[in-house]
Amino acid sequence: MNRVLGDRRAIVVLLGPALVLYSLVMLVPVVWSFGYTAFEGNAISGFHFVGLDNFRELVSDPKAHEALWFTVRFALVLTVVQVGAGYALALFYVFVLRRRSGLVRTLVFFPVVIPTVAVALLFQQLFEVAPRTGPVNQLLELVGLSPVDWFSAGGTSFVVLLLMETWRSMGFYAVLLYAGLIDIPEEMIESARLDGASWLALVRHIVVPLSLPVLLASLVFSINGTLKVFDSVVALTSGGPGSTTTPLTLYMFQTSFAYGQYGYGSTIALLLSVLCLLVTLVIFRSARRDATEA
Amino acid sequence: MSTGTLTGTTVTSSAAPRASKGPRRRTARRVLAAIATTVLLVIVAYPLIWLVLGSFKSQDEFLNNSVFALPESWSLDNYATAWTEGNLGTYIRNSVVAVFPSLALTIVLGVAAAFALQVMVWRGRNVVLFLFLAGIMVPAQMILLPLFTIYVRTGLTGTLWPLIITYTAIGLPLTVFMIATYFRGVPREIFEAAALDGAGALRTFLTIGFPLIRNAIFTVALVQFFFIWNDLLIALTFTSRDDLRTIQVGLLNFTGQFGQVQYGPTFAAISLNVLGTLAIYLVLNQRVMKGLTAGSVKG
Amino acid sequence: MTARTNTRRTTTVISAAAAAGALLLTGCSGSSDSSAGAEGSSAFSYLSFAENTSIQDTLTALSEDACSTENEAAPLEVTTQPQATYDQQLQLQSGQGALPTLFASGNSPLLAQELDDAGQLVDVGSELESLGKTDAIIPAAQSTIEAIYGDTTYVLPTEFNVEGIWYNKALFEDNEITPPTTWTELVDAATELAAAGITPLSADGKDGWPLTRLVGNYLYRTLGPDALQKVADGDAALTDPEYVAAAEAIADLGAEGFFGKSVGSIDYDGALNQFLTGDAAMFYMGSWALANFNDPAQNKIGAENIGFLPFPDVEGGAGTSSQLAANIGVPLAMADSAFDSGAKEWLGCIADNFGTQSLADQGVITGFASDVDASDLPPLTALVQEEIDRTDETVLWFEALFNPEAATTSQTNAQLLVTGKMSPEDFMAAVQRDLG
Repeated sequence: MNRVLGDRRAIVVLLGPALVLYSLVMLVPVVWSFGYTAFEGNAISGFHFVGLDNFRELVSDPKAHEALWFTVRFALVLTVVQVGAGYALALFYVFVLRRRSGLVRTLVFFPVVIPTVAVALLFQQLFEVAPRTGPVNQLLELVGLSPVDWFSAGGTSFVVLLLMETWRSMGFYAVLLYAGLIDIPEEMIESARLDGASWLALVRHIVVPLSLPVLLASLVFSINGTLKVFDSVVALTSGGPGSTTTPLTLYMFQTSFAYGQYGYGSTIALLLSVLCLLVTLVIFRSARRDATEA
Repeated sequence: MSTGTLTGTTVTSSAAPRASKGPRRRTARRVLAAIATTVLLVIVAYPLIWLVLGSFKSQDEFLNNSVFALPESWSLDNYATAWTEGNLGTYIRNSVVAVFPSLALTIVLGVAAAFALQVMVWRGRNVVLFLFLAGIMVPAQMILLPLFTIYVRTGLTGTLWPLIITYTAIGLPLTVFMIATYFRGVPREIFEAAALDGAGALRTFLTIGFPLIRNAIFTVALVQFFFIWNDLLIALTFTSRDDLRTIQVGLLNFTGQFGQVQYGPTFAAISLNVLGTLAIYLVLNQRVMKGLTAGSVKG
Repeated sequence: MTARTNTRRTTTVISAAAAAGALLLTGCSGSSDSSAGAEGSSAFSYLSFAENTSIQDTLTALSEDACSTENEAAPLEVTTQPQATYDQQLQLQSGQGALPTLFASGNSPLLAQELDDAGQLVDVGSELESLGKTDAIIPAAQSTIEAIYGDTTYVLPTEFNVEGIWYNKALFEDNEITPPTTWTELVDAATELAAAGITPLSADGKDGWPLTRLVGNYLYRTLGPDALQKVADGDAALTDPEYVAAAEAIADLGAEGFFGKSVGSIDYDGALNQFLTGDAAMFYMGSWALANFNDPAQNKIGAENIGFLPFPDVEGGAGTSSQLAANIGVPLAMADSAFDSGAKEWLGCIADNFGTQSLADQGVITGFASDVDASDLPPLTALVQEEIDRTDETVLWFEALFNPEAATTSQTNAQLLVTGKMSPEDFMAAVQRDLG
């Protein structure tokens, strides 16, 4: 039996193609890219060895710091907001709409499948202030507030980005989390309710602990996506105004392709990779701790 | 004020107050739930409705009329412009040609690899599994420059091959990881029984492993599809000619030489995308929801 | 469009991909690229920005008429490539030795210089000389080419645009304003217009370049025509007080609200529309906008109602308002590898006829001499033609001599400068830092 499931030839046939492709297209380039960090230049000007200069540049480059700070801020805030919104929606589906939630779930899920660029173009128009006052600003005027020039500053652009990403993804997270909530036995909820537990206490002591695994999976999923955010930012603000909404991903892209600095671009990519690894590790460790506590 | 807090408050406000359940309360709850649902649907749907209305407006209406105004005519000119001048047909074709082969390859290779890593028994499999895992965390930016060099040297630029190859490889880590999780959930006895019946490893995989997780494969394929379909970074980097562009890259390009935006055709192009996606989505939706609800991401 | 490539910040970002082609000069093997069109060496292949249609239309018109003989020997083949990935494509082809015969020379002047350094471009200046057509390129255009590219002429000027302030005559008269000739008068005029509730200056702040154009002009007026060459040579820095003063002057316009509200959200069309619907009194732009001015569907204020002002003098400055800012549109280059007898014939024919054909068909003033009678032109076009004929010295735009990184920084931060979210010192320091 173990001869069968340990059959060398079968392993090579099954695993070989995937491993070869994966190595050639991902592993080798990662190492290669790591090598670039010690060089300067591009193929026109040729490469020359500069040792640790790129890393020194990274330490002293205000643009890199700004991009790093933006990336971290964006990932943390958006993860909390979008998973939070998704969780609230999931609770709403399970406890308020109950069996009638199917259609609503479907509709709210839909935005996640629209091409990001299309969504971004749409939000640009929605939040427009000039030359036309867009729908959002008209609403603000209706309730007696003055219109906001959303894209003129980093802070407000950040808000629009958050709203857009939340609008896009809350339905997706809601469905993911719904899967975790639906498994909670009705009797548990009912008996707690008969004991006179308040709604909040119910959520805190029964619902959240029981749906924790799915919640954690969503968090990992979300933070991994938000750290690598690229298309939404490019399409919505192009990193502007100035470079106030430029994440590391975009800064790396500009540095490499627009300014022809391959070495420095790779150094920024390395910083991003390290960041992703760190965050994932932290989440997994804390998840393990939570699991032991529970 | 985010939609999150909004739905959050509706959840709590429409929550059941303690045990008392008078009929009046029940009606009040129903009404509150209905209101909350309506608000939610407006938030989700209004932007899309506004978009479709906008796709019928002329440039002049965009610049000089109210944004809430209905279009003055229901002409399809913008759609025609988007389709012909905007090359939308070409972009859609490229997206399809690049995405579906990569999707099929990713799934086939990924499932086979996951079987070899999770079901079969050999030394070093954990190391290889970890290698695949690491790939989930590595941002695509890290491999962009070397890949570009490779594709240029091999003369693949100017075709869609760079996209297909890159998408396939980038999709592998998550596919392997998710499928392996499913295989872990299958009782080992099933495979062992097959092996005792004298089936070879490959036959066990084809006749038992693959069919067993058919639903899971569908779910993973969907998740991957949306990832690849919405990719901008790879497509932006490796398509150097207009006739190779995918939808995402093409949409970014609805501007003229001096930065002028043709609102109508842009909206029409977006609408076409949204409606197309909506059609695919409605056809597949039942499967998506089932797949996701089946706890596909419990891992 | 070298001069105004930056279609949108988005596009700027995407041009990112452009420089990627850099790699390709390492010489790669086999091209699977069919668009190069170099196979039939007798064909006259032209590669254009997809966004620019006027050049290809003019060439096509020539091939059917004035250059039909040349076209029979070497048929014109047009291919296009979007601006965002244009440079990348060009470098791909150059790396594979498959450049088209004639092509738009890329988004930034630096690319053409690189290609020329690599010996890939035809010295069209001396080719025209050998054809006896030295006066095909008008002097003003020639001086602009030299200012950007140096002494060798390896590009053809498909447009010749002068830039300045277009103004709404009726609005000026209603508010009793005489066209300003000095910076102080301009500021005074803007103050009066603003008080009357009119947006004094309409500007595309989303793309940023129309704002930095003003900074560049101010520098040329205060420090003279070599102001930015000095920066390029390292003899001066943008952070020097006299340079910062220019950024400050433009930032002050913004602080006074002279660009109207939310200038950062106004795109090119929006700015144009503000001016052409009478909402704004002045509009700094190049003469390529004549196409819009002469289109009654877009122009609601009437072409006869538009006047032109050179960027005004700054009191005590070393430059004068006769030094108009100018650019040569999309500069075309010719590939050395594809320059055969057929291509040379075509070059001669273009030199003779391109200017006339373009002006007659498109109303576009080119850098080539033309024999169109001024009385046949729309009045505004004739006016610009006169301005050009009067000009013997031109200046460039702010980013003309910058590397791509500094140009991007300048254009993306321009709106922050005029909305007061970035100080003039910081703005100039950021650009200077990227100049390296």
